[in-house]
Parts: sequence; C-alpha cells; structure tokens
Amino acid sequence: MNKRHKEELADLVKAQLGEDMDADFIDEVAKHLEECPDCKICYDSVRQTVKLYRVSESETGVPDQVSERLFKVLSLKTH
Amino acid sequence: MKKDSAIELDTKLVESAKNGDKVALSELVTKYSPKIYNLGMRIMRNQEDAEDVLQETFLKMINKIKTFRGDSAFYTWLYRIGTNVALGKIREKKHIDNFVSVDGPDFENIKGAGLSHWPDHLDDQIEKDFFRECLKKAMDDLPDHYRAVFVLRDLENLSTREAASILNISEANVKVRLMRARLFLRDQLAHHLRCIEVIA
Repeated sequence: MNKRHKEELADLVKAQLGEDMDADFIDEVAKHLEECPDCKICYDSVRQTVKLYRVSESETGVPDQVSERLFKVLSLKTH
Repeated sequence: MKKDSAIELDTKLVESAKNGDKVALSELVTKYSPKIYNLGMRIMRNQEDAEDVLQETFLKMINKIKTFRGDSAFYTWLYRIGTNVALGKIREKKHIDNFVSVDGPDFENIKGAGLSHWPDHLDDQIEKDFFRECLKKAMDDLPDHYRAVFVLRDLENLSTREAASILNISEANVKVRLMRARLFLRDQLAHHLRCIEVIA
C-alpha cells in the first residue's frame, strides 16, 4: 500500500471509528487488507464511492443572479 | 488561511455585525454564501431549493446573530442553521406531497454481498453523462438524514463532533449513519454500474 492509499485508508477509518485512531491501528487495518481479499474489495469499493462523490459534488460558486437576489433579500450591499 | 486565524477573523466580523455593522455582515455573507449554497445543493439536489436554503439561512443568521455566544465556531453555528433549514424544507415538501416513506432502505441487508472488484480509475469516467446520472440517482435515493451526515462528513469535511453538534445527534450516531450512507451509496452505485456494464 503506497503513501497516498495509506492516507485514504486513515481518512476513512478515522471518519468511521473516530479521529483518535492511532497510526498503529491504521497499520493493523492496512496489514489485514493486504491479507484478506474480501475486505480489500469491500474497502476499495467504499473508498472509490467516497472519492467519486467528492469529485462529482465538488463545490461550485454561487451564480451571479442568485448572489444578487440574496443581497437584495437581505438588504445588504455587495462589496 | 489557517483555521485558527480564520476563526479569529470570523469572531471580529461577528462582533462588528452584532453591533450593527452592515459591512461586516456583508463580508460574512460573501464569505459563507458559497458554502451554504453548496450545502443546499448537496442536500436538496436542485438549484431552486438550494437558493431558498441560501436566503433563509442568511435571514435567520441576521435575526439570530446577537444570540451567537461563540460556544462553537461561527461556521459550525451557520452550518447548523443551514442544515436545519434544508432538512425542514424536505420535511415540508414531503408533507405537501403527502409522501410518507414507510419502506425505507433495509440497512440490515447492506453487506456488499456478491460485491466484485471495482476497476481502478473509475473517476476517469465521471464526465460521462450516464455515469453522472448513476451517481446522482444513488445520492437522490439516499434517505435525507443519512445524506445530511454523508454531506457534512465526507463532502464538507467536518469532524464527527461538528457533524454531531450540527445535527443534534450523538457522535456514535454520526458514525453509524456515515457507515450506512457509504454502504448504501456503494451498493446503489454497484447496481447501476453493473446495469451499464462498467463493473462486472
């Protein structure tokens, strides 16, 4: 498992189990994934799912007209 | 800008806004309107409703800003307003449509049974219309309270604690909902992608 994949694993595991998961635990999970094809398939598919949504739902700016209407409703001036 | 200095700047703007400084208020709206608009788009799934969420959130922010005590970061407080506005609108729509979801997804059965290997670089196909449609369909089908957790945790990158505070649920509940949301999306996506033979 390369460095980038390890970071993605840590990201997913921490989100699932808590931000306090330490590096040793992440190493244990990584080791298990290398030895267990079923878990690896499951993990890879979840990792790709999250990644796909991060790309497809990436942030867009507020359309100009929407922004204009917002400031009008709020009676504020843009600056 | 580092997180601490961003929070410090927000604190100054909020204090000025509380004292009636409209320029400070405008700055807060300018700074956070893209975040709230995207939050609205991600939860509501269409531009018209996202705009409603945007306007209602900032109207509430202006009305309530004097009650903000700084117990949490300003953006967490604002996200809480935005998320509640969005979820409230969904509840309202369901009421109007006389729609009651009796048969929600059976999360007990989401275990990835029969799951096959997903090819690497699936994201290469993301610009293709049919692929985007698969992603959209799966997300549209995800129940609202799971979608809210997925959006806050995996798309907005908020911490478990922040998501729990915004949704007024326990951190354990955030973790459970996040796991279920991810597995639901994975399974729905697998189903759609199998139909169009992107995966075996």
